[in-house]
Amino acid sequence: MAYCYSKKCFTGFIILMLFLVQTSAAFAQDTTAHAVVKTPGMVTGTVIDQDARPLSGAKVSIKHGALTVITDAKGYFEIKATTGSTLVFTYPFHNVGEVKVKDDRELTVRLLDTYLQSPQTTDILYGTVKQANSLGAVSTIYTNQLTTTPASLYVYALPGQLPGLYTQQTSGFTSAQTSNQTVSGLFTNVVNSHNIQPNDNNEIILKSRGQNVITVIDGVQREISSIDPESIESVSVLKDALSNILLGINSSNGILLVTTKKGKVGAPRISFTAQTGVQQSLGLPTPLPAYQYAYLYNEALQNDGKPTIYSPADFAAYRDHSDPFGHPDVNWSKTLLREYSPMTSYRLNINGGTETARYTVSLNSFDQGGIFQTANSIPYNTNNDLSRYIINSNLSVDVTKKFKVDLQLFGRIQNGTEPGGGYASILNSIYSTPNNAYPVYNPNGTFGGTAFYTNNLLSQTEYSGYIQTNSHDVLANLDLNYDLGSFVKGLAFKAKGNLSIESQTAVTRNLQNQAYIYTPKDSSYAAVGTTIPESNEFHTVTSTRYSYGQGALSYERSFGKNNVSALLMADIRQASLTYDLGTSLTNRAFKAGYNYDEKYFIEGAVNNSGYNRYPPGHQYGWFYAGGIGWQMGKEDFIKNNFGWIDSWKWRATYGKTGNGNIDNYGYFGYTQTYSGTYGQYPQGTDRSIGMGYQADPLANPNISWENAHKFNIGADISMLNEHLKVTADYYHDKYYDLLQSRGNSIALLGTNYPAENLGINMYKGFELSVTYSNHVNNFNYFITGNMSIQSSKVLFSDEEPLPYPWVKRTGQPVGTLFGYTTLGFFQTQQEANAGPTTVAYTAKPGDLKYKDLNSDGVIDQFDMSPIAGTKPLIFFGTTVGFNYKGFSLTAIIQGVTNRQISINDNQYNGFAGIGQFGNLYTGQGYDALNSRWTPETANTALLPRLSLGNSNNTAPSSFYIHSGNYLRLKNAELGYTLPYLVSKKLRLSSIRVFVNGENLATLSGFKGLDPEVYFGNPLNYNPYPIQRVVNAGVSVKL
Amino acid sequence: MKNYKNIIGLILLVLAFNACKKYEQFPVDKVPINIVFDKYDSLGTNAHSYLNTIYSMVRNGRNVVGGDYLDAASDDAVSSAAGSSNPVTIISTGSYNSLNLPGDENVWSGTKSYWAGIRMCNEFVSNIDIVPVQQTYNGVSMKFAWKAEARFLRAMFYFELVKRYGGVPLLGDKVYTLSDNIALPRNTFEDCIKYIVSECDAIKSSMLTSPIISPNAYYGRATQGAAMALKSRALLYAASPLFNGGNIDASNPLTGYTNNSVDRWKQAAAAAKDVMSLGAYQLDNSYTDVFLTQNNAEVIFIRQGDNGTAVDGANGPVGFPGANAAGRTSPTQELAEAYPMNNGLPITDPASGYNPDQPYLNRDPRLSYNLLYNGAPWLNTTLATYEGGQSKPNNNQQQTLTSYYARKFMGDFQFTSAYSAHSEDWVIFRYAEILLNYAEAENETTTTAQADVYDALFKLRSRAGIAQGGDGMYGLKPGMTQAEMRTVIQNERRIELAFEESRYFDIRRWKIAETIMNQPRKGETIFQSGPVFTYNTINVLTTKFVAPKMYLYPIPYDEVLKNPNMKQNPGW
Repeated sequence: MAYCYSKKCFTGFIILMLFLVQTSAAFAQDTTAHAVVKTPGMVTGTVIDQDARPLSGAKVSIKHGALTVITDAKGYFEIKATTGSTLVFTYPFHNVGEVKVKDDRELTVRLLDTYLQSPQTTDILYGTVKQANSLGAVSTIYTNQLTTTPASLYVYALPGQLPGLYTQQTSGFTSAQTSNQTVSGLFTNVVNSHNIQPNDNNEIILKSRGQNVITVIDGVQREISSIDPESIESVSVLKDALSNILLGINSSNGILLVTTKKGKVGAPRISFTAQTGVQQSLGLPTPLPAYQYAYLYNEALQNDGKPTIYSPADFAAYRDHSDPFGHPDVNWSKTLLREYSPMTSYRLNINGGTETARYTVSLNSFDQGGIFQTANSIPYNTNNDLSRYIINSNLSVDVTKKFKVDLQLFGRIQNGTEPGGGYASILNSIYSTPNNAYPVYNPNGTFGGTAFYTNNLLSQTEYSGYIQTNSHDVLANLDLNYDLGSFVKGLAFKAKGNLSIESQTAVTRNLQNQAYIYTPKDSSYAAVGTTIPESNEFHTVTSTRYSYGQGALSYERSFGKNNVSALLMADIRQASLTYDLGTSLTNRAFKAGYNYDEKYFIEGAVNNSGYNRYPPGHQYGWFYAGGIGWQMGKEDFIKNNFGWIDSWKWRATYGKTGNGNIDNYGYFGYTQTYSGTYGQYPQGTDRSIGMGYQADPLANPNISWENAHKFNIGADISMLNEHLKVTADYYHDKYYDLLQSRGNSIALLGTNYPAENLGINMYKGFELSVTYSNHVNNFNYFITGNMSIQSSKVLFSDEEPLPYPWVKRTGQPVGTLFGYTTLGFFQTQQEANAGPTTVAYTAKPGDLKYKDLNSDGVIDQFDMSPIAGTKPLIFFGTTVGFNYKGFSLTAIIQGVTNRQISINDNQYNGFAGIGQFGNLYTGQGYDALNSRWTPETANTALLPRLSLGNSNNTAPSSFYIHSGNYLRLKNAELGYTLPYLVSKKLRLSSIRVFVNGENLATLSGFKGLDPEVYFGNPLNYNPYPIQRVVNAGVSVKL
Repeated sequence: MKNYKNIIGLILLVLAFNACKKYEQFPVDKVPINIVFDKYDSLGTNAHSYLNTIYSMVRNGRNVVGGDYLDAASDDAVSSAAGSSNPVTIISTGSYNSLNLPGDENVWSGTKSYWAGIRMCNEFVSNIDIVPVQQTYNGVSMKFAWKAEARFLRAMFYFELVKRYGGVPLLGDKVYTLSDNIALPRNTFEDCIKYIVSECDAIKSSMLTSPIISPNAYYGRATQGAAMALKSRALLYAASPLFNGGNIDASNPLTGYTNNSVDRWKQAAAAAKDVMSLGAYQLDNSYTDVFLTQNNAEVIFIRQGDNGTAVDGANGPVGFPGANAAGRTSPTQELAEAYPMNNGLPITDPASGYNPDQPYLNRDPRLSYNLLYNGAPWLNTTLATYEGGQSKPNNNQQQTLTSYYARKFMGDFQFTSAYSAHSEDWVIFRYAEILLNYAEAENETTTTAQADVYDALFKLRSRAGIAQGGDGMYGLKPGMTQAEMRTVIQNERRIELAFEESRYFDIRRWKIAETIMNQPRKGETIFQSGPVFTYNTINVLTTKFVAPKMYLYPIPYDEVLKNPNMKQNPGW
């Protein structure tokens, strides 16, 4: 309740702020209008940007003419032009504007930002470089590419936009932890693939070149994915060894580099955006109506040689709904889930400053509603709901000419609710409860139930209390820069300190209501389940503190055409998570670069990096990388012969990197430890508990980090006056010393083998991105596309000596799925008797027939061969868009091919779940079952004969492998920026209205389920469905 | 220049991050071995805890193989659980191979591996010496008793392997680490038995003796009697036809002895006699109380259970709402028929008085102690396992397949309407077995049955409640030949030790499994018509036993693959 008020307060506060600042900028703009004496024949005017601030340095020229002038500091220009001629206004990364000269009125020309940006400098890890000098494989997107996506996390905007970044969504809603952090939970829930780190992104998996990505925000590693996209300047993915080497022991991972906006000199620029949208669940399968379910269930029983349990009278009653209590037919997802749920966000950004101090403040409020129905009679919210407030501020002060201080403060408050039973468990029940299980309500208004279903689903969803989760983050960044130029020219010192605190808590107030079995025959009610009064529990889920410190000396100087740069740095990152011992990561690195005339480049870095979770004495390793580059575009033979080439840079990097992922393989696993928590044994006739003591998993005293040799070669090409840009990269990465359990494990050891540095995997691939942008008069358009091909191979996996080549993992791509090869169905009993089947199984017609690869007459593990995942993965994205006189349209199309998924979920393919005493199968059936094998449909069947639990037919096999290819209209936005004159009348700098959407349309290889978020997906079996969002909003600048 | 000093100071400050006092380096709840075996701890608390964990690895045979008794894979019972993929059904129908022996019986690799227990015993045995345990037993430190217990458990784990696989690698006291070569060959069967016996001999004088001191704290620990009982059982198994004279691979020392020797029976008889001569054990007056009463004089070694109703819930008859049970075990008609009449005569004897129309009347009381049959008093009613009866409703629920339910180990619930908690210790060695071991081994050393063999059987039958008879022979024929007596002993062993993981191995070591398990398992369908029941014997499961290979388990396939020194058992 309280937070509901606070939400209202917050919104009110923002609106109040808007009124308070109402009078400032736009009004001020008016007063700066020029009262210049006009010269006849001259056209005068002002060029402004989308914030209605003057654009100085904009080019103004006469179309088809030679005359060009440049605007002054106040955006003012004067050009000699005749009435009827057309003036062309250009400014880098702004749409080109053309204006016809009509009369001698003074012009005000507004140039809007282009959707695609590519500034001269680009962010790299711990610094910036000139784009032209960068040797790494880096792709970047900017603010405009992030803000069109209405979602809870900025990572939702990434699919399809960054070449080389592979994404897969696994859930449509965040899933907060709701209970105390246990030691084992620490490792299953919190440890990422690299170091200990709670992560707020549990919806989208991000991979770069097959590796997990580490998020670095403003130079500090921190896995926060919920930053307001409007306060983000850019998001880059850093893919090669040289770019990432400063991460040292974790440099094998890709980096997602997020840079937030810094203050800009000038009067305050204030922008306010309000948007609201609706979400709609996609990819929910259709449950069978009760009569079909009953019929098919009978069929399954018959197939298993068991007596049927439904009579024709039952079918009739289910079909005509004449007996809603004795023969219910409840579509649980329709009953309990909403069709549409809201999503709202407000953003306020203030940006400005003087030459000596610049600031930015960004406020964001976000609210996402869940899919569950709620009851009017319940005063509190039982739906799952995410609401979040973020404040991000940055202050840069030039204390002296040499000394600069930069302070960033980030705060986040996030509250979530979910139904008392936990939304994942309720969804699981909704997916698995048959339509005929029980009536929602009994005739007397009590909750329906059965001896097996003792907890009514409606009661669980709407009447069982709630769980509230709260998380609080504070992050403070202090950057000190001191120019030591007076000591040694080009030398500067930089220090960075960061302190970041996160805490997550949960309050559980759930309850359970009794359900009743109603027997229509005698109108009796029998209570089932239990009544549990509302609980009131508080959990400290996590409480985490991170600190980061960095000191660096940098040197940058040119001697004629010789440009030299160097960086000497040391950093330390410490994290302490709840009661886990602190971890500490250190790097001591030196990086140096040289280029001649920005034509020939060479760069190298070496890093002595360590992590304190490795055995003492073996915590530090050396990692290094180097790169060379050649700006071919500057060579005379290009300049002279291929004038249409603006720039053509070749670059190559190579490095030895590391992956310090020891935490994924046990807790302090390098030394043998013992724990007193297992194997208790009762003592004597009292049976008092005698404590146990047992060895923890066997130690591997030699455990070390994983290593990789990564090679990248690429080219950046710009042509046709920078209208066409091409970036291409080829990489070949070999990961070795990968931790895995040895295949030659012998049971005589008496314990499990620990992970050892054994495996070798290779990843290679090609990434291409092509961008073309141009304009026809006022019609500015662009198209950009990127494509990545990624293939991998297990070069060495320590396998036991296997008797057949096809069962070996070595030599196959990483992540290949193994299974039987299906040869269709056994159509007759004779065929079934003759064919090979799995051990202890007698096949029947309608069962799957598997290929006996080793021809021994038995189907067993030696008949499993690669069935999916053997082709190189291709993923791609395209963004197209235009801007015409304030109208803008962008669309992002994203897709994956050569992807295969296994849908072998017995919930989807058959009846699932084992009931009481191990013999009653319950569980929901879906419409896919209509295509099961029967003697009549023997030739068209898509699923094997029905059965209640059949290990032969549900074995992993090629039968269940489906195409996972898809093509999505991931995002589109249509916007209109009102003419400047209109907004000026309203005393605003700019007004923009827009409609955008996410997951608008999908074409997928397998029909019926969403290709990313689906039932039985091994990454998330009963997921929260993926959401389609349609969103509208208005953005106002002051 | 002052500026530079500041800057240098700043640099030093940053570098000082590294020089800060370190975080605690190692979690306190994870302890190294010198805390477990602590040379300063005169109480030996942690070492004792470690021993507890070893004890907890002793198998509790109650419904342990996929939810069934192991004996449900013999001719005594079948599992009521439907489906051919039930672990005991896979075993009894012979549908396993070296790749897919059900996990609960795969005691070589996987989660039920006895090698894990052996490793822990070795770690305990190698480290306990440094712990200065102050408590004494028989004038020496208690740690010697603990060490002996660990060695006993190790010997028992080895025997569990040997009786299933034949000879296995003997690891000695070494605790292998990651860098050791553990691709060891198997030791011969003879070596293994020798090792087990020599361990039992070596430790027995250090162990606690029975009656146990302070049973409230020590009951359940391995005693001298337990070590001697293990020796008795090991020698009996080793002397049996499967290993002694009937080696399935006659010249293969891994699968048994390569010769036949009556002397082995003599050793087995002597080992049993030694336990009897201890005078510490005797038959309990009540057959059912043996399993329900803690610290009774018959029990030699148990695996601690709890005080509960799990055995009743798992195996009790279905159809009682107040005493919910899953009816997991369906004892066979063959087992029911194995029980004699209460005059001691087998039901096949015309003089026995057996009436096929009232088959459960006047039978050996052990029939009703071990089995629940149609008409048996149970839960304040008479059990109805006729077709459609309360406990065989034929409604798709799990229920008996044979009309019988297993009663053994359950509490006395004839006259209550609900189950209540009772002791559920799993009895591993008891005096009745020693008597049977003795009778069997002794009988094999003579051509005609001797008085002391008879005497052992009299004791068992007398306790069971069989009438002594006018001749004092408890229904046994006087002056039986060795072969006649063997048949009687084998049957007595079956009915006395039903569901105690004895029958399953007995039919193997006697090499009769190939005959017995290649016949179908039988049950009754009972039809009620008024007060009259008609009984029809039906086949409930077609079992299969492939001789000779199934007399021993296959070594797991990949263990042979990974270890070039590991020899597979014949036929697999």
